[in-house]
Amino acid sequence: MEYIIKNGTVYDPTNNVAGEKKDIMFKDGKIVDNVSSDAKVIDANDKIVMAAGIDPHSHIAGPKLVVGRLYRPEDSRRGIKSKTDVTRAETGFSIPNCPATGYRYSRMGYGTVIEAAMPPLEAKHTHEEIIATPNIDIGALSLFGNNWFVLEYAKDNNIDDLATFISKWLKLTRGYGVKIVNPGGSEAWGWGMNVHGIDDPVPYFDVSSRDIIHSLAEANEKLGLPHSIHLHPNDLGHPGNYETTVSSMDIVKDVSKNSPVRDQTVHMTHIQYHSYAGTNWRDFESGAEDVAKFINNNDYVTCDVGQITLDETTTMTADAPMEFDLHQLNGLKWANKDIELETAAGIVPFIYSGRNSVHSVQWAIGLEMFLMVENPWQIMLTTDSPNAGPFIRYPRVISWLMSNKRRVEMIENGEVHKAVGRKSIIATLDREYDFNEIATISRAAPARAYGFADKGHLGVGARADIAVYDINPNNIDPSNDYEAIEHAFGNAALTVKDGQILVKDGEVVSTKESQTIWTNVQGLEEQENVLMKKIMPVFDKYYTVKFENYPVFDNYVPNPIQVNVQAGK
Amino acid sequence: MAYEEPIRDYDRIVENCTCAFCGCNCDDLTYLIKDEHVVGVRHACRLGASKIMEDMDQRLLVPMIRNEEGNLVETDWDTALDKAAELIAGAVRPVFYGWSETSIETMKQGIKLGESVGAVLDNQATICHGPSLQAVQNSGYPVNTLGEVKNRADMVVYTGSNAMNSHPRHMGRYSAFPRGYFRKRGRFDRTIVTMDPRYTDTAKMSDIWVGFEPNGDYEFYTALRAAIKGKELKQEVISGIPKETVVELAEAMKNTQYGCLFFGLGLTHSLAKQRNIDAGIRLIQDLNKYTKWNLVPMRGHFNVNGFNIFMSFEMGYPYGVDFSRGYPRYMNGETNTIDLLTREEVDVFMVIAADPGAHFPGGANRHLANIPVIQVDIHWGPSTELADIVLPGSFVGVEVAGTSYRMDGVPIYMKKAIDKPETCRDDEWIIKELYDRVQKIKGERIASK
Amino acid sequence: MKTITFNQKKISSIALEFDELIPDEVFNWKKSDFDKYMVPIGNSRFPLSDYFDIEVEGEAESPAQVKMVLNGDLGRVKYIGCKMTDGQIVTNSSVDLHCGAEMSGGSILINGDAESYAGREMTGGELEIMGNVKEFCGASYIGDWRGMTGGIITIHGNAGKQLGECLSGGEIHVKGDCDILAGIHMNKGLIRIDGDVTRSPGGQMLNGDIVINGSVSRFLESFNQDEIVLDPTIAGKSFLGKYVKFTGDIVRNGKGTIWLSAEKNRHLL
Repeated sequence: MEYIIKNGTVYDPTNNVAGEKKDIMFKDGKIVDNVSSDAKVIDANDKIVMAAGIDPHSHIAGPKLVVGRLYRPEDSRRGIKSKTDVTRAETGFSIPNCPATGYRYSRMGYGTVIEAAMPPLEAKHTHEEIIATPNIDIGALSLFGNNWFVLEYAKDNNIDDLATFISKWLKLTRGYGVKIVNPGGSEAWGWGMNVHGIDDPVPYFDVSSRDIIHSLAEANEKLGLPHSIHLHPNDLGHPGNYETTVSSMDIVKDVSKNSPVRDQTVHMTHIQYHSYAGTNWRDFESGAEDVAKFINNNDYVTCDVGQITLDETTTMTADAPMEFDLHQLNGLKWANKDIELETAAGIVPFIYSGRNSVHSVQWAIGLEMFLMVENPWQIMLTTDSPNAGPFIRYPRVISWLMSNKRRVEMIENGEVHKAVGRKSIIATLDREYDFNEIATISRAAPARAYGFADKGHLGVGARADIAVYDINPNNIDPSNDYEAIEHAFGNAALTVKDGQILVKDGEVVSTKESQTIWTNVQGLEEQENVLMKKIMPVFDKYYTVKFENYPVFDNYVPNPIQVNVQAGK
Repeated sequence: MAYEEPIRDYDRIVENCTCAFCGCNCDDLTYLIKDEHVVGVRHACRLGASKIMEDMDQRLLVPMIRNEEGNLVETDWDTALDKAAELIAGAVRPVFYGWSETSIETMKQGIKLGESVGAVLDNQATICHGPSLQAVQNSGYPVNTLGEVKNRADMVVYTGSNAMNSHPRHMGRYSAFPRGYFRKRGRFDRTIVTMDPRYTDTAKMSDIWVGFEPNGDYEFYTALRAAIKGKELKQEVISGIPKETVVELAEAMKNTQYGCLFFGLGLTHSLAKQRNIDAGIRLIQDLNKYTKWNLVPMRGHFNVNGFNIFMSFEMGYPYGVDFSRGYPRYMNGETNTIDLLTREEVDVFMVIAADPGAHFPGGANRHLANIPVIQVDIHWGPSTELADIVLPGSFVGVEVAGTSYRMDGVPIYMKKAIDKPETCRDDEWIIKELYDRVQKIKGERIASK
Repeated sequence: MKTITFNQKKISSIALEFDELIPDEVFNWKKSDFDKYMVPIGNSRFPLSDYFDIEVEGEAESPAQVKMVLNGDLGRVKYIGCKMTDGQIVTNSSVDLHCGAEMSGGSILINGDAESYAGREMTGGELEIMGNVKEFCGASYIGDWRGMTGGIITIHGNAGKQLGECLSGGEIHVKGDCDILAGIHMNKGLIRIDGDVTRSPGGQMLNGDIVINGSVSRFLESFNQDEIVLDPTIAGKSFLGKYVKFTGDIVRNGKGTIWLSAEKNRHLL
């Protein structure tokens, strides 16, 4: 089937198209430069056309999510929608069921999402949920930062074995890249402890976060993976943690990039949670300026924000000690999940409120990061869904970014706490994003950071993942019409995925099976076999499953997008 | 126990099979196979081994339909499936119950069928760990995988659970005996505590037995929590336990390095029900202020946790999910099998890989005797006596592969070792067939209008 | 004023769901609208007129002007008055689950017993039950730590387990006895029990008041005994007699108060 989307105003930063009236044609799931006269015409006059959105960091599938859904029926009860002829029933607000996750991303014009934390032992579970989620392509980042084998290799600075280990474990888990969460801290949580800063030794293993981050970055580059290390640094959510954040970014300064498909050697995730100054919650204030300055001066760093949306949500992270602290703070039900030899996770419901001074300052810090990082290719739109807010709030965040008026209004009419004025400089930042910058932070930049050559842009040969929004850029003033902006980005006029029309006028009109993106490192098979001989005795002794039952088998990845990488090339 | 000769007469072995019995999901079994039949099982406990080896005992082999005289008579698959589909398509309050002894792959077909006809999908949690899940929903869920216990724990508590009898390899493989990374001497490096009114086999091999009185759970745990907080206890004896013992225990629990509490149906089904677990969960949360503690429910069937996980990611609720209004509803006491049956609301009941005939209260079974019951199972059991249509399935983990979730949530792909009997079908196939046939009937109905 | 009378014709073994038949929805319905209405039963809908004869008298311009009278055996009618904001409902029979759940205004009078979850998550209005109630009266939705936040529930008979679970406001008054764990996880509000309580009232409560005029057979360790007060004023209401004041639940650093009749509870002192 051939289509032509006619006369839309196209924003495609990858191909330097910024608001040109242009036809976009696609055929057999790919963007093409011409179609026959039989092509079906879709009129996009006075509408915005972009590549489908790419979410670089979201929690949508896996054991943490299921604990959240299982233990928060009161959240599942919010956002209920009956099944239709096309769609299955939807439940949940902050932690939607799998079908709803797919539909809601489609309605926003998104096509690809990265699940940010997959524990290797329970990778099958993550993949089962990916199968259950329709409409979007999903890649999952495997957790490495607290794995016992990794800790040992990092301690010995054994980059060769570490690289081989990563290569093998990405195959075993069908993961896309290397995720590091609170390096060393989640292992310390095995004893109810945490590590603070990058030089605090991990109990027993006697290795520091600095060693873990540096060796994983080196191993990542040695392999030349399509994504850099994906770092959730230590001290999340602690006042004064911006220093840890800046020094964490500094650790990989000497690691040279070994991949042509991306620009960074480290991706810092939910940077908002890591840009706090002060020493306690009373003198807590924004530390965004220093973090933004570092990112502006160092192009080897990219980040996503984790913008607070001021909703009742569910926090969940592999940073389990932090979640326990959060539970101590708000007293709400605490779930925890420690996973043998690998990682941990914590989950706590959380109510972010504009009446609370801390939450409001957190809100401001996220926006400050968006506005102070100068190059939109280095910063990406996320809410660390569902941690800082559910992903369905992206359109609202976009409206905040495009409207200084709205931000000022929120501060002035008390929608956020007045502490924002004292503890952040958000009120003085009058930068407003344009549509091209929005397209960058929500599509082009994430695609670049993940090395997706055929996603996030509308050039010939790219996947036909397209979003059309009912906004006429020539006669809308986003500064004033922020509500219209939020509505339009939340209800795509058209969402196309691999050439299939999934959404029309904000309604899901068809569904498709999701695809799983994973990285297959080639050329290290020999080394992997040698390494496995060394690993097996330890594995057999300390894991409680047999190695034969450990890998993710093909049946859990029925629709793979396998990214082959030649190790070291 | 009499000496048994080791089995030497077999054709081949299959290693690293997963046991389809309890929530331990031991995945280290070796099947000895002769003439496409498992004649011996290595590493398994007696419960697991006998279930796997006696797979042909009272095996359901052919579909059956109950005739007008009330006898089950053999029939062909088409007739049986059509009749079952007809019942399901015509039902107003259908309940599909069971699922805990089959694979996630089967559940996927089940939810498709349930969602399309507006049924209630429920599993054995409704009669076992349902209260635990309710408590989890109230208070949280601090859990760990069993390997964490093996590698780190220096104190292990069993409460309301007689693991030695119900989960025979639990202590040997995961908690008390194995040598772990930080517990190189295994059992000698750990303190085992059993809290149970009965002096069970588990209590007998524990270091400490706390025999609080029946139904005294909630008061006991509350007192323990108060003692951990440092409150001076007022009553001399709490739930049958001297206050000094409570205080000693509180101190011991605070002074461990890593503790894990395993709880069973003794807690979920005594007086305060979910509140016992609620107090237990809060106890663990309190202890984490001092040291490291987690808990794990001692789930019974090998995939009972799997159903709860599966339903949660598919529909946001763990069990007792009612699709009757086109969207899922979950309400304890309203959308659960036992309540629906004792209220006599159900008009068609399908049981998949479960035995309500043996487990349900009398009132529920009385109603089952009055309504059409469809059974998908591998063995003749009390439920077969209640069934009007019997659809013989196959044995997950032996005859067919499939996914299951261990009590701690670790997913395991259970492999296939032998072929199923020729006349049986896979559970997954049966439910899918029912779905297709129900859709056909509904299509015809719409067309005729 | 408009009076809508439901006279039962037939009993359904599968429960009818009345969540759409509240004054807010039906205040401007004519008899013909009721006759057309299909009521949810199980996975289908059936004509309401199969089960009830409806009489409509008078006119209403708002829900406040509606009085619904339900006659017959309502033991299989769920969600009566669920989510209503105004108006009046009277039943002349016992009712099924979720009666008055999530109501925010108006009044419901049950001349009979109520099944579980009566007045669940109420935010306002009055629910009066002349008979007994089962479990979770005035409770929260499962998993939610915020239960009933306003309104008044009066129970003339006995109450089942976990009355006022997670109560976060409003008042529940039980004139009879009460089963275990009344006011568990309570955050705010007032529970008055005139009769006896079997076990463990106020477990894990954070705040609010529970007044028990009868005896309590077993009391939790995690409450601190405070003073004995004569004729106390609790939550703005005066009580007569001698009460022992307990505070807790200390396992959650709670600041709740349980007032026990001193006379009936000598065994605990």
